[in-house]
Amino acid sequence: MGGLTRALAGLLRYTARLLPPGRRQWAEAAGAEAGEVAAGWPRLRWLAGGLWLVAREAKMMRKVGYWLGAGAVAAGAAWVVWLSWRTSPAADPQAVTDRVRVLVGAAALVVLPWVGRRRGWFGPAGSSITARLVRVAGCAAVCGLGVAVVRMDSHLGLGPHSPGPFSLLREIIALVLVGAALAARAAGKARWPDADPSAQWFLAAIAGLLVFFAVPLQALAIVYAAGVLAVTSLRSPVANASLAAGAITGLAVSLAAGLATYELASSSDRYVGLLFLSVVTAVFLLAALAGVAAARLLPGTGDPEELRMARGRQGLLAGSVAGAVCGLLLTNLFVVAVVMMVIGPLAGAGGGAIGGLIAADHPRRSRPARSRAAGLFARF
Amino acid sequence: MARRAEFSAQTLSVLAALCAEPREWRHGYGIARETGLKSGTLYPILIRLADRGLVEARWEEGQPAGRPRRHLYRLTPEGLASAGAAPADTPAQVRAGASRQAGRRVAVRGVRWAD
Repeated sequence: MGGLTRALAGLLRYTARLLPPGRRQWAEAAGAEAGEVAAGWPRLRWLAGGLWLVAREAKMMRKVGYWLGAGAVAAGAAWVVWLSWRTSPAADPQAVTDRVRVLVGAAALVVLPWVGRRRGWFGPAGSSITARLVRVAGCAAVCGLGVAVVRMDSHLGLGPHSPGPFSLLREIIALVLVGAALAARAAGKARWPDADPSAQWFLAAIAGLLVFFAVPLQALAIVYAAGVLAVTSLRSPVANASLAAGAITGLAVSLAAGLATYELASSSDRYVGLLFLSVVTAVFLLAALAGVAAARLLPGTGDPEELRMARGRQGLLAGSVAGAVCGLLLTNLFVVAVVMMVIGPLAGAGGGAIGGLIAADHPRRSRPARSRAAGLFARF
Repeated sequence: MARRAEFSAQTLSVLAALCAEPREWRHGYGIARETGLKSGTLYPILIRLADRGLVEARWEEGQPAGRPRRHLYRLTPEGLASAGAAPADTPAQVRAGASRQAGRRVAVRGVRWAD
């Protein structure tokens, strides 16, 4: 018991240094007063409380959880790369395609946070648990795309839904397009520093579309990796409530659609078109609900017109998140549903924007504050 | 400006303990014994109260023999006003209720904060 107490006291002294200077004295106070507490279990409990204080103030539980999740995603990405090398023989042209796709997805997850770290587009991660959960789960789902593609190819080989053998020309065209877009942006910024940023975004969108047509799956993997990192970064315009509403809605729709697909598609291919239409409709309608929730959960005072626009914007963002989550998860379940990665966010954005604007036009009426507890009134 | 402040039952018990001898500096273990709170609950409450300017803290002056220096706390004038604003029977009521309804929020409504 004595040894354990000394160990905990030493650990508390050591971990107190992890706290910022303004907080350190409180952990040191808990350690200093442990000597006053009766020896044995009471002192151990006191020291454990001090350690809990350190963990809480240093937000360690959140950090540890986040880094454990990030480590798991990194391990998953490494496993996907290994899988793509192992499952297909090198002579198989499809193996090269898989390897390139997997490497591009893994590289996007590594390079994008590094590229965006200064401006804060893709990092650091937002401080809320929602943002960190969505970030880790989203990156895992992007890795899952690689697993799904590799497994489908290794089981089915080249089939009707296969995107075809590897084309070096396409890869080179995409690479040149990306390089040209980046160079044009840098040159334009140097030549016309006060140019309208919308023109740059327009050119970037055109370059992105061309890359998408050249190498669709690689482009989608990069866009989704960038999207996951951007909506969960500290500077994200998506409010926490909107992120949670969108992610939960997308999860629900994709799980329901996955179950329905297993039930219907196993018996006949006749209902595939109907199923696809139902999923898109469900995404639209439920994204509208997510948009309503996101708009209603946005607190705010000030100019009513600005608030209305902000609520509509949060509705649109929540709906887009719902559609993107649905598209990503459905593609993880069935690679042939890859088209949902494009249509899902569009349908979700439409539904979310409508829901957000409806909710913004019919704001909640504030209720009078009610005390639920002791009702202590004090007056000066 | 008048605004509503919400304190948990545990926070009110800490305020009550500090309010008993408002001019005296109290140490953490003494407050913990009086309120029955554990260190993992007491110190976060003291931190929040200090952040809101209701409690001031300092280290004991000089090095006492045979034990480490203590970290000491007392209410600031604002803290004293907030704690003293509740009716006289509040601390006892809160202490009795703290174990029963741990975690439930007790609203202290209409507290006017010193500007």
